[in-house]
Amino acid sequence: MLFQTTNAHEELRAKVRAYAEEEIKPIAFLLDQQNEFPEEAIRKLGKMGLMGIPYPKEYGGAGLDVLSYAIAVEELSRIDGGTGVILSAHVSLGSWPIFTYGTEEQKKKYLIPLAKGEKIGAFGLTETNAGSDAGGTETTAVLKGDHYVLNGGKIFITNAPVADTYIVFAVTTPDIGTRGISAFIVEKGWKGFYFGDHYDKMGIRSSSTAELIFDNVEVPVENLLGKEGEGFKIAMSTLDGGRIGIAAQALGIAQGAYESAVAYAKERIQFGKPIGFQQSISFKLADMATKLRCARMLVYSAAELKENHEPYGMEAAMAKMYASDIALEVTNDALQIYGGSGFMKGMEVERAYRDAKITTIYEGTNEIQRVVIASHLLGKPPKEQGSSASRPKKPAPITGVRKKMIFREGTSAEQVEALAECLKKDGHDFSVGIPLDTPINQAERVVAAGKGIGEKENMKLIEDLARAAGAAIGSSRPVAETLKYLPLNRYVGMSGQKFTGNLYIACGISGAVQHLKGIKDASTIVAVNKNPGAPIFKNCDYGIVGDVNEILPLLSAALDSGEKQPAPPMVKMKRPHPPKAEPIGSRYVCGGCGYEYVPEDGDEAAEIAPGTLFEKLPEDWVCPECAEARDQFIQA
Amino acid sequence: MYCVRLVTENLYWVGANDHRLALFENIHPIPKGVSYNSYLLLDEKSVLFDTVDWSACRQLLENIEHLLEGRQLDYLVINHMEPDHGASIEEILLRYPQVQIISTEKAFMLMRQFGFHVDGHECIQVQEGDTFSFGTHMVTFVGAPMVHWPEAMVTFDTTNGVLFSADAFGSFIALDGKLFADEVDFDRDWIDEARRYLTNIVGKYGPHIQLLLKKAGGILDQIRYICPLHGPVWRKDIGYFVDKYDKWSRYEPEVKGVLIVYASMYGNTEAAAQALASRLCEKGIADVALYDVSNTHVSYLISESFKYSHIVLASVTYNLGIYPVMKNYLEDMKALNLQNRTFAIIENGSWACKSGDLMQKFIEDELKNMTVLNERLSLASALHEDKAVELDALADAVVESLQENQKNS
Repeated sequence: MLFQTTNAHEELRAKVRAYAEEEIKPIAFLLDQQNEFPEEAIRKLGKMGLMGIPYPKEYGGAGLDVLSYAIAVEELSRIDGGTGVILSAHVSLGSWPIFTYGTEEQKKKYLIPLAKGEKIGAFGLTETNAGSDAGGTETTAVLKGDHYVLNGGKIFITNAPVADTYIVFAVTTPDIGTRGISAFIVEKGWKGFYFGDHYDKMGIRSSSTAELIFDNVEVPVENLLGKEGEGFKIAMSTLDGGRIGIAAQALGIAQGAYESAVAYAKERIQFGKPIGFQQSISFKLADMATKLRCARMLVYSAAELKENHEPYGMEAAMAKMYASDIALEVTNDALQIYGGSGFMKGMEVERAYRDAKITTIYEGTNEIQRVVIASHLLGKPPKEQGSSASRPKKPAPITGVRKKMIFREGTSAEQVEALAECLKKDGHDFSVGIPLDTPINQAERVVAAGKGIGEKENMKLIEDLARAAGAAIGSSRPVAETLKYLPLNRYVGMSGQKFTGNLYIACGISGAVQHLKGIKDASTIVAVNKNPGAPIFKNCDYGIVGDVNEILPLLSAALDSGEKQPAPPMVKMKRPHPPKAEPIGSRYVCGGCGYEYVPEDGDEAAEIAPGTLFEKLPEDWVCPECAEARDQFIQA
Repeated sequence: MYCVRLVTENLYWVGANDHRLALFENIHPIPKGVSYNSYLLLDEKSVLFDTVDWSACRQLLENIEHLLEGRQLDYLVINHMEPDHGASIEEILLRYPQVQIISTEKAFMLMRQFGFHVDGHECIQVQEGDTFSFGTHMVTFVGAPMVHWPEAMVTFDTTNGVLFSADAFGSFIALDGKLFADEVDFDRDWIDEARRYLTNIVGKYGPHIQLLLKKAGGILDQIRYICPLHGPVWRKDIGYFVDKYDKWSRYEPEVKGVLIVYASMYGNTEAAAQALASRLCEKGIADVALYDVSNTHVSYLISESFKYSHIVLASVTYNLGIYPVMKNYLEDMKALNLQNRTFAIIENGSWACKSGDLMQKFIEDELKNMTVLNERLSLASALHEDKAVELDALADAVVESLQENQKNS
């Protein structure tokens, strides 16, 4: 065993290296400076057959092995880390799940154009509250007949918005943690599928990264990848493989910086000889080369394991962790060797230094890699408490149980009409009203302005609406404190005034936690905001997604009933009872001591995970308090 | 002087009454006393069913001696080992060294733990379904775990239909001459203390009472007498008391009505509770009971909580928390497994009112299957005119919920 690549591998390396040096190198600095995606270069990569290296030819791939793919990523990254990750995300994350879990139809429809490089793929798992811990996923997919309705968003998505297809993870069964997550193939251009801003990143700036926003996106059932509930498994196995790509990227970035440093060390003369022959620099180079060889062995061997269908999860994690950790060290040393010159923009080592950093973070931070490796070494921890997987239920919206009826049908005028109708039906009497300056905590109704109201002159819209709705005027904290549109005693929130009346109309308020806590006792909450993802919509009874400039005048007109009569003393309208969480199973009482087994709690001391039904307890389980056997328990 | 009563042919009550004990189990006040019931069967063999508290031992001995008239005591059946019934075992063993003890495995273990020296005597260990003949009388033993100790059993005499029911179907109040439930106005004079006994002593073990009732259900038509270890013997209208037990152990309210419990430091919260009570009565809900948590022993509150369908808690905020005595009442409701009630909350706080939120959280998180009405009345120090609307809204909500309740039941 010689630990060597084959001739074919080295031929491929030479081919990719030549391409990178000719096509990418000249524009790399420009791409970095301009935060620009190398569209043309990637198209060419597709034509060369490099966008589907490890997939069979029948699916449009090159039919090569995993190691070939790793070498291609390494060689691209050697010149430009950003370009390297475009390939890695496309092959490992955007295409592999379809190749592995897709139906024949899905492979034909999606994998073939991806592997041929006609389309670009991406992968959406990370969210604001779900990164390392996927159980916190909040994007939802609700089955409605022949399609799922997708709502929520993803952040830090590599290849977005350039990519054409996205593997998106969403919750199909709420409240059961990772077992409730499913995977979907989502196409760019579908109604309600938007992109947020292209992020302004520290490194890998030629790779595009953006936010995904799903607003009632209809996904046909045939685009469910795998089965419902398999999403977590799909995500984790995809990331296992993806780590080989990122490891190769880190290796390539470090290799490029190293080679550049060697060249510079031979050429830069101080104290009468090239600095490379100063021991301090030569030792550095020796260390760098050693680290690179170690990393390369780890990466290539993980790739070979995967290719040969051997278990490779731990080895891929080791490769990713080690290669990225040393990439930081190697690029740092390379820049050091360059001295002041290396600190200048336009120097390759400067870019490599910045590009390297992300490799210890994405596709599982290196801390998570250590978790993965340790779990292979030690097995499952004895209890599953604390992670979201076992968390029994999600916190309810801050304002409690709300109708969350968002008017979407028809024109804005029709939406407003429907809203006014609902308010009147609920018993809000708009023939009476209260003065605009009624103290917030005594007001029956409040019309409140958030930052979304815009210019100060728009406060006129708020006043008009307050008059029409017979309400007092309030605001969010920034509107009073920062913009100073209203006195401080008129902002609503935890720290400000609490509103406990019957009707709260939030205009351009996004719904910060502080603010929502101040209106949790309101009988009815109405939200008008142009951002459909604003938290206020999860905390309102009625909502209209739209611009305040358009909606408020319409709403004023709809509620206006001429001169208002003074309102009689407020009669507080009833709020519904929050539904109780259904027990997951029966409790059982011990006949020896009265101890009650609660399935939601399990039995920590006996390593019975929370959520274990009594019926599922092991035969030899005994009462934790008095050691009676299981058959001495009766149903509570 | 002996003091015995005939239960039925050859079966005598040989227990004793206790008016000197202030606190039952050293926790529950018993102003009307309590009886420790023990029964003697004179068949071909003589059989004593359970003994009495140590304080009543001499009376028991006198009673037995009188009835045995020099005969040997052959068997001692121990249905329940708790010391208010078991404490005199050792004295019986000393006086009647030939006696054979019949009980469950766990009971024998407890006897040894308590230091009643049983090991020199013949111990006959029985279990569920075992039968035993004393001559003409044949008895069956039925396990009654956790009613309310794990070792408990009940014994059914198939010959005369007597059920020795241990602590089940017992009650506070000394018998004072009467023996049978039909000799007193039970529903008028005894039911409250019977409820207070059951709910505070065995309240937590509803499922096990249900299990026992289910077992008893099969032989209900054969039961002629229920002989509990405290309180009167049942020989008439047994269904009345079984029905009460069924309700209590299923945690179903007995009465559609309102229990108001208040914690008040200077009378302001009390005034709000009183105002609510009068509003409720004005609105036609007259079944309202009102208690000051500070000077009512919690055992009474628990008993009333098991009785009523609706509970209003009115509490001041104390050290940023629930008033300690009120907290203790809530903790007791949890310990005794109270379920299926509707709560309303009145809270008071002079600078940071916390008691309402905390009580609601406790009720929702710690108690089972409770409903808390949304209409909460919040006071800042005292109830003023401006809160009249809220007070009315609270009263209306309670009334409405009661009526809904009525419809559903």
